[in-house]
Amino acid sequence: MRMKILASVGLVVLTTMALAPARPPMAGGTVTGKVTYTGTPPKMKPIDMAKEPSCAKEHATPVMNESVVTGPGNALGDVVVYISAGGAAGAPPAQGVTFDQKGCQYIPHVLAMQAGQQLEIRNDDQTSHNIHPMSKVNPEWNKSQPPGAPPIQVKYEKPEFIPVKCNVHPWMHGYFAVLNTSHSAVTGADGSFSLTGLPPGKYTVTAWQERFGTQSQEVTITGNETAKLDFVLKATEY
Amino acid sequence: MSRVARRIASVAGLGVACVAIAAAGVRAQGHNGLPPEGQGSDRKIIKNVGRPSVGKEEYIRYCVGCHGDHGDGVGENTQWIDPKPRDFTLAVFKCRSTPSGTLPTDQDLMNTIRRGIVHSNMPEWRPLPDQMIADILSYIKTFSPRWKAEQPGTPVEVPAETPVTTESILAGRAMFQKFECWKCHGPEGRGNGPSASGMTDSKDQPITPYDFTTSDRFKCGTSNADLYRIFMTGLDGTPMASFSDNIKGDAGWDLVHYLRTLQPMKTPEATIWKAWLATHAGELKPIGPDATGQ
Amino acid sequence: MRLTKGMCGAQWLTISALVVGASLGAATTAAATVTRHSDSTIVVQRAATDGNAARDAYRAYVASIQNNEPAAMASYATKRVKLIPAFARKYGLRCSACHTAWPELNSFGQQFRDNGYQLKNERDSPIYQNNSYIPITLRATPQFHAERATKQLVDATPGDGASGQAERTVSSHGFDLSGIDLWTAGTLWKNVSFVLLMSADNEGSFGFEAMHVRFDNLGNSSWLNLKVGKFELDNLISEKRFLFLSDNGGSYATYHFSAPGSSVDFGIGDNQIGAELSGHSLNSYTRYSAAVLTSTDGEPGGENFSSYDANLNVSQAFDGGKMGVERIAAYAYLGQRPTTYQTIDGEEVPGTGSNRKTFYRAGVAGDFFLHKLEFLPFYLHGNDNAYLASDTPPDSPLLPGARDASWNGGFLETHYYISPQLVLTQRVEAIRMSQQAFSDLPNKLGNVDAYSFGTRWYPFMYSRAGLAVHGEYSLVKTVSPAQTAEEGSTVNIWTSSLLFALDFDF
Repeated sequence: MRMKILASVGLVVLTTMALAPARPPMAGGTVTGKVTYTGTPPKMKPIDMAKEPSCAKEHATPVMNESVVTGPGNALGDVVVYISAGGAAGAPPAQGVTFDQKGCQYIPHVLAMQAGQQLEIRNDDQTSHNIHPMSKVNPEWNKSQPPGAPPIQVKYEKPEFIPVKCNVHPWMHGYFAVLNTSHSAVTGADGSFSLTGLPPGKYTVTAWQERFGTQSQEVTITGNETAKLDFVLKATEY
Repeated sequence: MSRVARRIASVAGLGVACVAIAAAGVRAQGHNGLPPEGQGSDRKIIKNVGRPSVGKEEYIRYCVGCHGDHGDGVGENTQWIDPKPRDFTLAVFKCRSTPSGTLPTDQDLMNTIRRGIVHSNMPEWRPLPDQMIADILSYIKTFSPRWKAEQPGTPVEVPAETPVTTESILAGRAMFQKFECWKCHGPEGRGNGPSASGMTDSKDQPITPYDFTTSDRFKCGTSNADLYRIFMTGLDGTPMASFSDNIKGDAGWDLVHYLRTLQPMKTPEATIWKAWLATHAGELKPIGPDATGQ
Repeated sequence: MRLTKGMCGAQWLTISALVVGASLGAATTAAATVTRHSDSTIVVQRAATDGNAARDAYRAYVASIQNNEPAAMASYATKRVKLIPAFARKYGLRCSACHTAWPELNSFGQQFRDNGYQLKNERDSPIYQNNSYIPITLRATPQFHAERATKQLVDATPGDGASGQAERTVSSHGFDLSGIDLWTAGTLWKNVSFVLLMSADNEGSFGFEAMHVRFDNLGNSSWLNLKVGKFELDNLISEKRFLFLSDNGGSYATYHFSAPGSSVDFGIGDNQIGAELSGHSLNSYTRYSAAVLTSTDGEPGGENFSSYDANLNVSQAFDGGKMGVERIAAYAYLGQRPTTYQTIDGEEVPGTGSNRKTFYRAGVAGDFFLHKLEFLPFYLHGNDNAYLASDTPPDSPLLPGARDASWNGGFLETHYYISPQLVLTQRVEAIRMSQQAFSDLPNKLGNVDAYSFGTRWYPFMYSRAGLAVHGEYSLVKTVSPAQTAEEGSTVNIWTSSLLFALDFDF
């Protein structure tokens, strides 16, 4: 089960990295590192999908709540690491990002995108979902998406961390991380991230986890080097 | 004419006027004592230009006790009210004719103010003149910057209503099953579906799905056209989603006709449905999981 | 505060306006005002606040004219005024949502009242309120006031009852209490509403001012509502919910006027007992009411049982655009009083009256807004049948020379709402007899002119309780029978009130 999650999360991470903006192929600097936690994180509980049999049968063992995803060596997954200050934002990438509803879960749990980047929302389940991103800065909307319906295409214009929920299936939680930059990554369960293609300059790198808050560090890129940056977030039980 | 006779005549005239007014009034009302569909102040187009400074005084007179000095829904009475008053700073509104996520039109806002919201503390502000409502609206818009940045959405198109027939009601019933309305609203529309308990709105306040079986008013209107708009635009800020991507044109009327059969009052739809059920009830499959709702 | 007589009206009014702003004078003994009875009987002038104080005061006035005794400080003070913070507490609305300046209703408050004190959002029935919510409200008005009356008959030499009588201006002033209104109203059930209003005078003696049940929205239609009990007539300009409180300004003279010598004890501002069918459009722009009332002017168990009056009222409002809501109304009250009774040992048996003679009051009224300025014009034509106007004794033939008494009266009241918490008020009123009961009565006997100015300031305006700081000056001129031949047949008696009050309501 864990492997399945790791595999799918890893797949998403790779996909995200592959979807990095098509820039002129200059090397640029790289910031890479690992996000770990100290303290005791809360225990994640299994999700009871009995109310939606068509989804329950897709999971041999119940899926766990994804608010806190941990890995070996106190690694922290599903952390959005991004450039929060420094450098020009640039136009949003032409390639869009995809948010999938599968097995009554949001895949990925946290999706990072740039403001103005195309977002596609799919329903690959046998049941209807209603996709309800609870934005406060961007317009809040709520749409029903039955099985077999075409994907919903939408763009968010303002940076915001938006919780996403489905009103029909209350256990479904996800996040849209709408950022001012295309330089972002979401860590996998191994906690590692890599921000590439950074022009020389002084940057603030921020790590955000939905329960443990944010942490920022500064880094300076002078050429094509790889800067190493680690984040240690303080885990809280509640 | 003698004085007494003149007196009697003028009094009789007043009496006749009373009776005439009463009779005309009773006849003019649509079902349930509310303006007939398509008529009444709900449909008047608001043409007045609002004056925010005047609207501010009127807001303080009428609205501030619930909606608060800053328009954020935190008035002196908010702690005792359920559902909570609208937070105007978010510019998210339940009752619109425009798509989910877009701003409502002035007419939408005027309709909400005039007809109030059932099962809430929002009164029917019917006697307020159009100009006063326009003034209040222009002041309310100062609470959120969205009104400066965007225009209201393009109202959802509501086609002419299709005839009420058994086929239409059955098609609507199939839609009720297919689009899983019953998951929240329950198989009989009682608001007790499997997903209904523990529901919260966008401000994390507990909320329950609409119970069709207890009321003749919806949150956002009373007519078939109002009901059509409700599921096409969704009720922003609540779990009620917009179905406009998946229900198109005349198909929406089928769902409207079916929903009417769930309500307690006598409607043309309910009459036709009851008559059909009397002989064909056995043909129906129940609504719910593992059912086709045919 | 000694007020010299003989000042002309205008000067007096200017000075009093300054006095309103001045600090309070020293307190003296409570006002014990003196009537102009030649037999030296004292009539209490402090306005009682039972339901028919106005009528009682007028009866005293009528009796005094009947006995050819010039009227005294006719004080028609009615301080029954209706504002219900219990409603504000129930629904969370501020007082200003329903009232222009409480207790006067605005157009939304009128709709709320017409709906049977319901917002009609399916939460009006008491079951939707917390168990501890009790719809009780009370209102009281501690105050300072000064009263003055000209041409009062007092001993020429104070202390010497044998010194003959002289006309003097009599005045008195001091701190005082009003009565209280203890009022409960609301819904018994969805679409069944009730009112119970106990009113006490300033000594705590209670009476029932209002008590009724109303079946609202019969047949789910706002056009049919049935009210039974004791209630205010459906006057467009409500005297119970107006903005004046002083002895001389706290009632509309036109609403209580009785022709000199008439036996009709009726005031259109008095609460009556009966049944009323009423209706209104959903926004209360169109309204009608038709009532059948027992002919006792609101007195329960009265001597005029078995006789009924009727009241009709229609009104229409218009959307006045930038100006506000504009209303006009027409009304008619048709009354009758018996003139023949069964008797036992010469004493009338109450309730056995027959051979009824009629009287009526009819006219038009309006309520017009010019943004913050509100005009309330009112016109009334009154007529009492000759039997009643001449007070012919029961079971007797019509007194020789008796005629119908008729008159025209009206007022124009103005309010200026500086804000929902500050209002300036003014009223000018006049009544002119057009035909006296007897041709040898002076034509202008009984004519009234009245002027009032006032202000109300509400230091706070929210949804739990209310306080109004009230200032008012009112002046009334009544044409009364003269005492001495030199004065001619009539004399003008001026009575005035200056009031500074704290009017609170919880």
